Amino acid sequence: MARTPDLLPGTLDLLILRTLQKDALHGWAVSERIQQISQDVLEINQGSLYPALHRLEHQGWIEAEWKVSELGRRAKYYHLTASGRRQLAVEAREWERMANAIGRVMKLA
Amino acid sequence: MTLNDLKLRVRALLRPNRIEQELDEELAFHIEREAGKLIDEGMTPAEARERARARFGSTALAADRCRDERGTAVVDNTIRDVQYALRTFAKAPLAAFTIVITVAIGLGVVAVVFTVFNTLLFRVDQVPDIGEMYAVERTQTANGDPSPMTRPMFDAMRADTHVFTDVYATVPEIDLHVNGRRMAITLVTGKFFQAVRVNPVIGRALMPADDARSGGNAVMVLSYKGWDRHFNRDPNVLGRTVLVNGTPFEVIGVTAAGFRGLEVGGPDAWAPLSQLGQFRPADRGREDAVGVEIVGRVRPGVSKNNARAQLAAWDSNQSADTVDRRTTTLDLLPRRGTVPQRERLEAVAVFAPLFVAFGLILLIGCANVANLLLARGVARQREIGIRLSLGASRRRIVRQLMTESVLLALAAAAGGYLISRLALVGAVYWALPMMPVDIGDINVSVPATDWRVAVFLVAAAVAATGFFALMPALHATAIDPVRTLRGELVKDARPGRARNALIGVQVFASALLLICAAIFLRSALAAARFDPGLRTADTVLIDIDSEPKRAAMIQAVKSDATISAYAAVRPQFLAPLRVAFADVGAGKTPVVFKAVSGSYFDVLGIPIVRGRAFMPWERDHHPVTIVSESVARALWPNGSGVGETFRLEPDSGVQRPGGVLTINPDAAADDGLVQARMVTVVGVVRDVAGFRITDVKEAGVFLPTGLDVAKTSIVARVQGDPSLARQALLDRLTKVDPNMGMIITMRTVARLETFFLQIAFWVSLMLGGLALLLTVSGLFSVLSYLVEQRTREIGVRMALGASAHAVTRLMLAQTTRPVMAGLIAGTGLAVALATAVLATPAGALISQIVHVTDPVAYLTSLGVIVAACLLAAWIPAARAAKIDPMRTLRQE
Repeated sequence: MARTPDLLPGTLDLLILRTLQKDALHGWAVSERIQQISQDVLEINQGSLYPALHRLEHQGWIEAEWKVSELGRRAKYYHLTASGRRQLAVEAREWERMANAIGRVMKLA
Repeated sequence: MTLNDLKLRVRALLRPNRIEQELDEELAFHIEREAGKLIDEGMTPAEARERARARFGSTALAADRCRDERGTAVVDNTIRDVQYALRTFAKAPLAAFTIVITVAIGLGVVAVVFTVFNTLLFRVDQVPDIGEMYAVERTQTANGDPSPMTRPMFDAMRADTHVFTDVYATVPEIDLHVNGRRMAITLVTGKFFQAVRVNPVIGRALMPADDARSGGNAVMVLSYKGWDRHFNRDPNVLGRTVLVNGTPFEVIGVTAAGFRGLEVGGPDAWAPLSQLGQFRPADRGREDAVGVEIVGRVRPGVSKNNARAQLAAWDSNQSADTVDRRTTTLDLLPRRGTVPQRERLEAVAVFAPLFVAFGLILLIGCANVANLLLARGVARQREIGIRLSLGASRRRIVRQLMTESVLLALAAAAGGYLISRLALVGAVYWALPMMPVDIGDINVSVPATDWRVAVFLVAAAVAATGFFALMPALHATAIDPVRTLRGELVKDARPGRARNALIGVQVFASALLLICAAIFLRSALAAARFDPGLRTADTVLIDIDSEPKRAAMIQAVKSDATISAYAAVRPQFLAPLRVAFADVGAGKTPVVFKAVSGSYFDVLGIPIVRGRAFMPWERDHHPVTIVSESVARALWPNGSGVGETFRLEPDSGVQRPGGVLTINPDAAADDGLVQARMVTVVGVVRDVAGFRITDVKEAGVFLPTGLDVAKTSIVARVQGDPSLARQALLDRLTKVDPNMGMIITMRTVARLETFFLQIAFWVSLMLGGLALLLTVSGLFSVLSYLVEQRTREIGVRMALGASAHAVTRLMLAQTTRPVMAGLIAGTGLAVALATAVLATPAGALISQIVHVTDPVAYLTSLGVIVAACLLAAWIPAARAAKIDPMRTLRQE
């Protein structure tokens, strides 16, 4: 298994928010989704995932709800709130700017 | 913090169990879902579950971090820690109890000192808006003491300036003797109660009309203290009277308990200043020249500097015509009913050594507890190792241990408070009556506590905790979890060095305190053996305060059955003496003199070596004198002295009191100067050593006088127990003059010499004993623990042929070094302190009374400590020697 590169600080929150943009997901699904889409490049450290979810919940960007899961037992599903959407937009823009800037430096410097 | 956040936090706080359960469920679901995925990929269920768990890592750690994000972790953890700590205490109640009691004793003794200190320096009087109260003072000038302010100045200031909303003049601390008890009176002008804005709880306040310069009222307002001491809190006290030099003063009010009239001690009563002549007959007719203090409430909105400038401007206008006053200026000093700022440094200087001495007990107690906790920390290594390996962070465990210590410290603070109250109440109600009865009538009440004492106690408790708990906690957690789980105690975690340092500190403190105790005891014993050269067993001093009552007083003394002999002396026996010059033609020799009647030497048992005593007809102005042996030797080195003549010339100087203590502050130097004249020596008396602490010295030159002469006092010899005789005399003589002065037995004066040394001895013995007890118990428990811990090693040693003797020696050797180091440091500091004391200006006087370098004291106290430590170490060491090697080895 490839070593998981260290995430840039703050990017975990961004990834979580983005993953939750469409559907409500439980914690395992969030990490699974990120891993799949990144084609196993990004593997979320479970020890940081749940603290991050709780932090975002406290900031009011996501909300939790207990629902019956695909296993038939109940699980905690998180979904974006209105302020979470705004936060996602802000962070996504910021990320874009950052990525473009780094890209330009890598090409031209 | 958003609203959402707050909502979640409140929910977490209110329903902690539900939240915890949800967290567990959420994490468990994750692992189960992961396992499900792995099973789908073809793993066996058991394998999948294990793999999922391994990939997740520590759920406890993740849960902990989630709790941290929740923001209630601090509260959660604290509650958990407290619960855990209480469980731990319940498991070892004796250890918890020992810790609490030990620290409580230390905190208690320190709190005693702080309470007194607090009362003197910080406890402001209960006066509304006390920050506005200022005293007007003349500042010191190069020309010496500033001239005092007077009542006419006060009246002019009040009329001319608008600095104060209300201002009053006061003459504090006038001693009135009422039926043999001292009553402290403060005289104030009419607006006093208006200025301080305090109303009596019973009756009414003094009014300006009461203080009218002509036609004022003979009334007084009692303080709560005066009401308690002199009227037994009689609810019908209004209208009762106090006789002041023949005039009845009516009680018109009583103030509340907390009010001290902006003084540190506070008087028993306040009376109008216009009645000054009644209280001090000597000042009658010259009231306008008597110095007063001026205190006022500065108008709101007027700054202190502005007020001072206005007053200074007024003052320089006032004194434009008088040259000498230009050199003085007025200053405003805050008046709070605490020790004034100028004297604060002195107060701190007095209290600092007390704090150190009492603080040493706290230090030793803490060292004991730290040692105990160190030992327990090692014993708990297994528990801590398990918690560490389960994923608890070191910080969490240190926090847990600290929580335990803070809980103990808070319990100790509460205990310390109780102990300090008990000690203070005990000291006032039990020790004060032990003071010689004649001077025991001192205005002392139990110092009150307030929030400052509470803050001090908690702060000291927390500081103590930092000292006794942090180090063991850090020690205990600095371990390798894997090895402790295996039951191996890591060598580094055996905190031998810290333990030795703690023992050293304890022995050091005990040595210092016990050396002090021994020095005071030896000095007190020496002082008790000291012969003042006077008859002290059955003599009393009787002052005659008011001259109109003199004849009646003398008659009463003459006819009293208990008095077998009496004589006159002037000035009062305990007052400082005046200096004169004796001139025999070869230059002037300064001598101190007093006037006595013929029977004086007989009453006091001073032997007449040559010549004779004064004859009854030899009175004032009779040109005869009696000199002491040393004066005779100085003036006529070759002659006997009797029959010689010399010229006695007056001098305005007064023999400066060099004593530590003044018994009778009223006894001012007699202002009657001797007339220059030739006198003939009729007798020579033996030198009198006198008293050292109170600095009562006998004169070198005696002049004749008689009891009927004004300002003479009585020295009398009584039959039977002098204390009983004194009480009987007091009862009889106060009937003649209710305001008569003091009656003091000479035995009391003599006892004062040893009294303060005895107090110092008992206090330092109590502290030193406590220190030694704590040290010995600490040493004992540490060694017992060490023996237990090293049982296996000792067993091996004995199996290899070590003798019981060698084992005992090995265990004793453990403590030798720290004990020796402590002894040397303690003795060294004691010697250094003694040297420092001797180097001070008062060193010579102090060393006469307190033998600070007494080698016997040093050796005895060191011997006691060594013996006690040996005893404490011997029992566990002997136990070590009894270890059966076979049995200990079989246990492995």
